This record gives sequence, C-alpha cells and structure tokens, in this order.
Amino acid sequence: MNFPVHTPMLHRVRCLLVALLLIFSSAASSQNSDLAVDVIVSPALAKVTLDRSLLRAVFTMRVREWPDGTPIRVFVLPDDNPLSDQFYRQRLGMYSYVLRRAWDRMVFTGTGFAPTVVRSEAEMVERVRSTPGAIGFVRKRETSSQNRPAPPRWKLLVLTADDHG
Amino acid sequence: MRVRLAVAIAAICCSGSASAVDYQIHGYAAQGFVLSSHNDFFGDSSDGSLDYYEAGINAAVRVQPNLSFAVQAAVRDAGISDDGSLRLDYAVADYRVLSEAGIQAGLRAGKVKNALGFYNETRDVVFTRPSILLPAVYSDNQNQRSLIFTSPGAQVYGATVMGLHELSFTGTLNAERDVRKNDERLLVELTVPFDLRVGDSWNIQIMDSIDGGRWQFAYSHFGGQFRMSTAPEIDLSGRFDVDLNVFSARFNAERVTITAEYVLVDNDNRLTFMGAPFLRQRVAADAGYLQVEYRLGSTWTVMTRLDSSYRDRHDRDGRDFAAANPGVDRRTQFSHDFTIGINWRPDQHWGFWAEHHWINGTAILQRLENPPPVRRQRWSMLMLMAGYKF
Repeated sequence: MNFPVHTPMLHRVRCLLVALLLIFSSAASSQNSDLAVDVIVSPALAKVTLDRSLLRAVFTMRVREWPDGTPIRVFVLPDDNPLSDQFYRQRLGMYSYVLRRAWDRMVFTGTGFAPTVVRSEAEMVERVRSTPGAIGFVRKRETSSQNRPAPPRWKLLVLTADDHG
Repeated sequence: MRVRLAVAIAAICCSGSASAVDYQIHGYAAQGFVLSSHNDFFGDSSDGSLDYYEAGINAAVRVQPNLSFAVQAAVRDAGISDDGSLRLDYAVADYRVLSEAGIQAGLRAGKVKNALGFYNETRDVVFTRPSILLPAVYSDNQNQRSLIFTSPGAQVYGATVMGLHELSFTGTLNAERDVRKNDERLLVELTVPFDLRVGDSWNIQIMDSIDGGRWQFAYSHFGGQFRMSTAPEIDLSGRFDVDLNVFSARFNAERVTITAEYVLVDNDNRLTFMGAPFLRQRVAADAGYLQVEYRLGSTWTVMTRLDSSYRDRHDRDGRDFAAANPGVDRRTQFSHDFTIGINWRPDQHWGFWAEHHWINGTAILQRLENPPPVRRQRWSMLMLMAGYKF
C-alpha cells in the first residue's frame, strides 16, 4: 500500500536530523584543544606577575588598576572566536558564557565596564601595544615573548580559518 | 546635517579609552510577541499581543580608576503590568575603596539596583535572562520595579577570594519612596482613592562563586514596609510588612547550566480604620523552579524549566482560600508552569528567542487583565522575542 503523506514527513525528519547533525558538528569543532594562547600586555607592564587569580580578577573586570596605579584596559576577541574560548579555559579556568554573563551584568547595572572587543588578533596586538595598561591575548607562537608581541603570522591565521570553513 | 548627526552618533557609539577619562555607552532593545490560549498575559494575548517590549540606553564614565558614574534610561511595556513610560532605571556613583586581585570593596549611591537572586538586577534585558519570561520567583507580571527591584539608596559591596571560593557581598539601604500610580492599582485593590509609599527598606546578597563560577550559591534578602493612606474623611490606613528570602544555586558546565531558586515571601498586613485595628493578615507565599539550559554550539541554546508558585504555602491547592472567599476560584492561588525554549544569537548584537509555556493555575495572571471568574485553569502561551544590544 502506498502512503503518500509519509514522504514529506520523512523528508522533514531527515532535514531535522541533518540540521541537528550540523549543529552538533559545528559545536564540536568550536573546541580546538590544540590552540595555545599567550597573554600580552603593554610594554610598561613587563614586571607584573600574571597568575590565575590576578588574570581572573582582571578579565572579570573586578580590579580596575595595576599595582602601579595604571588603569587596566582589557581587550578580548569576539565570544565566538575559538581562541577566546581556549584562553578563558586554559588561563582562567572559566567558560566564555560565564564571563559574558558577568560583563553584561556590569554593563546593564552601571557597576562596571565591559572589555573592549577587537575584531582580529592583528588589531589585538596593535591596541595592546599602543594603549597604556592594556592586556589581551593572542595565539601562542613558538618563540613567544610575553611582553613584546610580534605581528601575528598571517599564514597561520588563514589556514586556521580554512579548517573551520 | 544628516551626515553630521550620523558622525555624532558614530562617535558616541564607541567607547573611548584614549583620554584619561574612560567612558562606555551601551543599549538594548527587544520586541516580544505573546499568543496565549484562554487567558491574557502581557496584553490581549489570546488574540496575539505585541504589547511587550523593552529598551534602554546607558552611559558609564570613569573619572579615576576608583570613581565612576553610570546612568541608564529605560522603557518597558508589558500589558497592564508596565506602561511603556520612560524611566530612570539607575543613576549611580561608584567609589572603589579597595581594589586588589584578592579583595575589592566599595560604595555606591544614587538610584541603585537591588541584588535579588541571579536575575533581578538585569531583569529587563532579555540578553541576560534564561528565557523571555522570568520564572515566578521574579514576579514578572507584577510591576514591582519602583518598589523593590531598583530604588534610591546607598550600597556597600565587596568581594574576596579564598582558595577556590570567590565570596561577594552587596548590602543596600533604600530611602522611603512613593509608589507609581500605575503600580499602586496592581498591588492594592480598594474602591476608594489611596496613596502607597514604601518605607525605608534594606536588601543584602551573599554569593559564593566556586572554581571560576562552576558552582554559584547565593542568599538574598529584602525587608521593607509599605504604608497605605486614604483621605482623612475615610481614615483607612494600612501597613504591609514584606520579607523576601531568595535561595539560589547554579551549576555551570561546558554545555549545561542547571539553575534552581526558591523564594519565600512573608507578608504581614495590617489595616486600621478610624484609628482601630480592622484587619490583620499573615500570609507566606513561595515560589521555586528548576531549570536546565543546554548550549548546542556557540549560537544556539535550548532550555526547559519547571516553575511553581503559591500565594499561600500553607494552602497550596487554594481550598482554604476558596472556602473563606465564596465565589473566588481556588485556582487563582497557584501556578505551575512547564516551559521549553530556544535561543539563537547569530552574533554579539542580535538575539532571537522562542518559548512555550504549559500552565496549570492562574496565580501569575493580572486580575485587571483577566477579570474574574477564572476563564480556564489549564492554559498555554507561546512567546517570541527579537532583540538587539550594543
């Protein structure tokens, strides 16, 4: 016997399954465990010891000035950048959505500032280098120097973007 | 002229950090849609209601690392419970006394936000809510904003790190204030004209955030007193003492967030007529929910929630109330809401929400929107919302 009504139904179920698979696969690819992240700071802050507790206090925007009195200026990449996620996990032991929740709470209650979101690692390097009291993060380089960030390696950035596309 | 205006807007839409004075400008706007069966919620929703929106814009200025000022103007419309008028949401001066990695403390003064549970302070910004509608713990359909959610006062705050624990404290003293006319009629039903004021009130929140926010536990308390007065020739006055205790717990994993909150509200109502005690009523209401959020990826989140509220915790099915008030439906005394929802945030500015509520009971309805008798005990509601923030 023929049940023509089932065909579009099956099609719909198949579409739903494909959509779910896509969602899950894109979710899985957002965790890129082989990304290593470096913290970068303004040249003048070379002597500050950045342990996890200070980094957490800085990136949750709870402290506002460095020990020498310079105002802290925090730069971050967009939340959906895999590097953001990796940095928050590796160095802060936190999830990006928990940080975003804390920032939104500050912004919409008048109790604090949100970090400045930059579009790319290149912009991150430039802003951190040129802003007194700045802190941010970039992809780790083999010969990394915490205090004197070199321009990012474009080739690597492009390759990574291809991997995700 | 138009170009100049565009340049000016572009200039104020970004934060400034080049000069010594830092400032930030942020805002949000969201439009909701409610379609319900049988009962009305946030407008004439049984026919589909767009009478539900929220928007706000704020500015924050840091004149020194330890001194900042912030102000937010907001509008919100939600059926009969909010009227869309422009209001000052907060206006606060913040002086940081102590600011080290391990310990921070400071003072705030002005019109401040009261910390109650996880969501109260940013309750009108959908981007900070787990769903379009907040659970009954937050009384989203009773406009109490001018009463307890934000008010003029002074606040002391502090946080310290002890091993894996980050302990934070907020304490607020609120000055006596008037209740807006629009809110008065939602709180007290009286056939003669009256005035309602909130006396001095106080609010504290203690929070323990463990291991970078993996576990969060909070206790919040609000204590206040409402005073009602009528014209001298009527000489009816009232005093309503309110104590709110909110217990909150949250577990944040990579994909899953599980949240549970419980509020216990003690009301002690006294009415005096011609100087003599006329009515004394003590009621303990409560509400609680269990909610699970699951992040499918960086842009999609689904959630589900079981949410219950009772107007009298010693009369959960409302039978005693119905017996004492002939003609009143017992089902006005509770609500059980099962919710599923989905949220899509394609980028850092936009957000879209959809959720469905299956509800038993009508305690969360506004009487003025749903004149008695109760139309239907079991009802449901579809809510949609689209929002933008910067």
